Amino acid sequence: MSASPALMHGRVPRSQQSPMNPRARRPRPTAFGRGLPWILPALVLVIGMIYFSIGYTGWVSTLDWNGFILTPSEPVGWANYAAMLQDPIFWTAIEHTVIFFVVTFTVQTVVGFVFAAIMHSKVHLAPVYKVIIFIPTVLAPATMAPVFRLIFDANGTLNGVLDAVGLGALAQPWLANGTTAMIVVMLVTIWQWTGLTFILFYAAMSQIEPEVLEAARVDGAGAIRTLWSIVWPMCSGTTIALATLGVIGALKTFDVPYLVTKGGPNHATEFLGTYIYQVMVQEKHFGYAAAISVALLILAVAAGVLMSRRNRAGEES
Amino acid sequence: MSKLTTGLRAGAALALAGATMLAVAACAGGGGTAAAADSNPKSGNITWWGWTPDATNATKLIADFNKEYPDIHVTFVSKPIDSYDSVIGPAVTTSQGPDVFNVAPGSANGGVKTFQAAAVDLKPAVEKALGKDWKSKLAPSGVVGLSVGDKVVGLSAGAVYSGSIWVNKDIFDAHGLTPPKTLDEWKTVCATLKAAGQGCFVQGAGQWAFDMDTFEAIMENIQPGAYVKASLGQKKYTDPVFVKGMKIWKSLFDDGIMQNGAVGLQQYPDANNAFMSGKYAMVMMGTWYTQYAVKDSMTAAIQAAGVSNAKPFTMIPIQFPDVAGTGKVGNMFGDADYGLAVSQKSRNQAAATTFALWLTTSQAGQQAVANTLNDIPSLKSVQPAWDQIDLVAPAAQKDALKQYTATAGAATQPRFATVSADLNTAFQNALIGVASGSVKVDDALASLQAVVDKQK
Amino acid sequence: MFELRSRTSRITVQVLATLIVLPYLFPLVAMVQGSLAGEGLGNYAKVFATGVVPTYFMNSIIVASSTIALVYVCTMLAAFGFAKLRIAGKELWFWFLLLALTMPEAVLLTPLFVTASTFDIYNELIAVILPLAALQVPFTVLLARSFFAGIPTELMEAGIIDGANVMRVFWHIVLPLTRPIAGAIVVLTLINSWNAYLIPMLMLNDPSKQVVTLLPSFFTSQYTNDQTGVLAAAVITAVPVIAAYLLLQRSFERGLAAGALK
Repeated sequence: MSASPALMHGRVPRSQQSPMNPRARRPRPTAFGRGLPWILPALVLVIGMIYFSIGYTGWVSTLDWNGFILTPSEPVGWANYAAMLQDPIFWTAIEHTVIFFVVTFTVQTVVGFVFAAIMHSKVHLAPVYKVIIFIPTVLAPATMAPVFRLIFDANGTLNGVLDAVGLGALAQPWLANGTTAMIVVMLVTIWQWTGLTFILFYAAMSQIEPEVLEAARVDGAGAIRTLWSIVWPMCSGTTIALATLGVIGALKTFDVPYLVTKGGPNHATEFLGTYIYQVMVQEKHFGYAAAISVALLILAVAAGVLMSRRNRAGEES
Repeated sequence: MSKLTTGLRAGAALALAGATMLAVAACAGGGGTAAAADSNPKSGNITWWGWTPDATNATKLIADFNKEYPDIHVTFVSKPIDSYDSVIGPAVTTSQGPDVFNVAPGSANGGVKTFQAAAVDLKPAVEKALGKDWKSKLAPSGVVGLSVGDKVVGLSAGAVYSGSIWVNKDIFDAHGLTPPKTLDEWKTVCATLKAAGQGCFVQGAGQWAFDMDTFEAIMENIQPGAYVKASLGQKKYTDPVFVKGMKIWKSLFDDGIMQNGAVGLQQYPDANNAFMSGKYAMVMMGTWYTQYAVKDSMTAAIQAAGVSNAKPFTMIPIQFPDVAGTGKVGNMFGDADYGLAVSQKSRNQAAATTFALWLTTSQAGQQAVANTLNDIPSLKSVQPAWDQIDLVAPAAQKDALKQYTATAGAATQPRFATVSADLNTAFQNALIGVASGSVKVDDALASLQAVVDKQK
Repeated sequence: MFELRSRTSRITVQVLATLIVLPYLFPLVAMVQGSLAGEGLGNYAKVFATGVVPTYFMNSIIVASSTIALVYVCTMLAAFGFAKLRIAGKELWFWFLLLALTMPEAVLLTPLFVTASTFDIYNELIAVILPLAALQVPFTVLLARSFFAGIPTELMEAGIIDGANVMRVFWHIVLPLTRPIAGAIVVLTLINSWNAYLIPMLMLNDPSKQVVTLLPSFFTSQYTNDQTGVLAAAVITAVPVIAAYLLLQRSFERGLAAGALK
């Protein structure tokens, strides 16, 4: 059986959507009974624990409140949202999120994909490589942040290495400059999450029948062509799953920009997650922070809808 | 029954469940059981939450407390600074939260302005302990900083003062230099050290609280009291004195006194470790750094900075140089480092109050605090027992430290107490912006003034 | 994947792999170096000398295993339901699940606390386990759903023809086939529950109930930040998870393979 992105989302396979197909009318899945009781535990757990929080946050977003339960709050209706839409930092954060997602997703996908392909070939010490690329996923960002600040410091290890290999001209205070600080945040994120991308692609590739690759080789296709024309399309399901999670992750991202650069210098690495934290914990404007959280939720929904539209469009093409 | 109806019914059920939970929770509000009745002031188990002191010092303080009150069992729970407010907020609304918790002036972590509704008014207790004239026996910054209106929200355990710079005397001696007293001397010292491949001054300028210290020190040099007046709206940030101050702040970065890439670093751990490992000869820290003049503490700190075969060096405090050439030096500023508050929901309010008062107002408690050298005690009559403290280089340090502590104790200007949460954020943007060159001096000052104007 | 016939191509690929992995190795080395700086292994002794390592580890193990169990049960049931059974508004419910992933953790703290104190579970491990599980389930259901969808329906139909009801089909036919994805779910949930910081910090006050993520705070306080201790604590904390990953690596890869594709 070949990869079927449609089935990734549990939807009816294309072959059965076509009006020409005589089997199109058969309802899938078949009469195994009502599924509701089965999904109920998950729904109760998630909705019970989290949706109350979502509702609560929505309610708080209409208040002017410092977040401390015993302090009275003042209802302000839509004022927080109005302020948010005029807040330049809010829009900067969104801008950063978009750039961040595009860059990190692309690099992680490419590196993970290529590395997975390499690991499927005969390479010495493959298990060691596989572990090294995965360990960053396991480490808590809080402990690695000061290590990274040391590496990227003006007198840090990276600049030292650049000097040593003769690229001293590139050495600079990476964390002190807005643009390069953003690059650092993206690099650290890529470092942390490529392991996950790799594992997923590696697994997806192990499902590819060797005959397909053999046929390509016999036809004279080189490694790169094979990767691009055969392996990559067969892994599209994985790519889409990663994109969905990537968007939500990018919107929410907090750990790396907060711990390494504290959203700075001067909001150069400000994201919605860090901004919410600053507004909530530092400035004690819980209502405003809640409004931004609601905005984050709406953006996530919008992104998700866009993703499924593209997914569906991709299938039809 | 059609599938749609089933689905809708299920959805409605879930929504109802969610709404019910919301309603229950909203009504529950204070949660938990009712607040404690009277309990024994001399015995019981109480918990103490704070971001400070560290585990070692907390153990020492509690041990000293138990010498006088052996039947009150105190458990210190460390709640790190970054998450302190997030966790204490909910916790003090139940009786399963802390009995005693740290508070600080203004809108810092555990700021009294935020959490005062959860604390018991300690005025009756402190009047009983120190008499009606209790205010005159305690350092004023602590009293004012931790009260909201008339309510004594917390009692200061000790204060910390800033406005000083600590220098590594060994490095200075090795290069034949003396600590700078003016801006020009500072530049010369830094040029000399840099030429010799030695770092001069280090600051984690990404951690803006310490940038505010530097800026306040500059302002105290230009015009004492201006910094605090402006934060209270009594002076405009756009006044020429502030323009001068901000320009001097910027020049520290442009003229190479601040190390390259300073805004990318944090004071803790980055700058602290850089100083402790001898990579830099100067760092701007306040009275809380005095604890590292002690042999054991300094050795531990150097080890913590990752240096093997740690050998303590001679560290002495100097006043902030006369950068503006006005001759006004030695004006330190500070407020209560932390204070203790008693939770209204505590089940052992009496015992909790005993502990809080012991640490903050009794001779024994304040002596114990003083001896940690972390804080300058709030009780006026208490001094650290210098002769019992094992300094790294008593000959070079003891007198300097005594004078330093005296200067600090005489300080009148607060540090964070008058800075609101919004002003704090505005300073972050202004100081780091100017330092990194992305914000103009005039714009930065205007933004500070805008915040204060809104607060009026 | 690629038959590397010539020596040049073998070397090229090996070099390429090494070049890719070096930047990932570098910070890890820096971290271990940092943990050994100064006192070397004495830093690790320092961490153990705090006396809390066994307690914290035990609590983390309890939290992690309970979370994994809860996530596993909910996920298996839900994924089966989404993939194989009739549900009105199925996609809607699925999106409901996914949306729960969008809340930043800091915002969840106060409402989670209100929930916990309402049900009087504050300062209990369960108050940590439930939210952590709830935050894992959307992701694991997303992964597991496609895996279940790939299990041939014919197998299930055969079971029904033989007279079994849905539950027996699930238990005897479907579930045994899910070992690969179970491995994936276990490892991912383990990582996230082991490294959970804010929610345990909020919910657990009793020193005897704390978890390992609190270990580094022994070495940081308002005016100190003992990096060597923090890094040593981080290495100690990471070791069990890496060990678990190594052990489950094979089943993990197989699980994600089937899940991601079919």
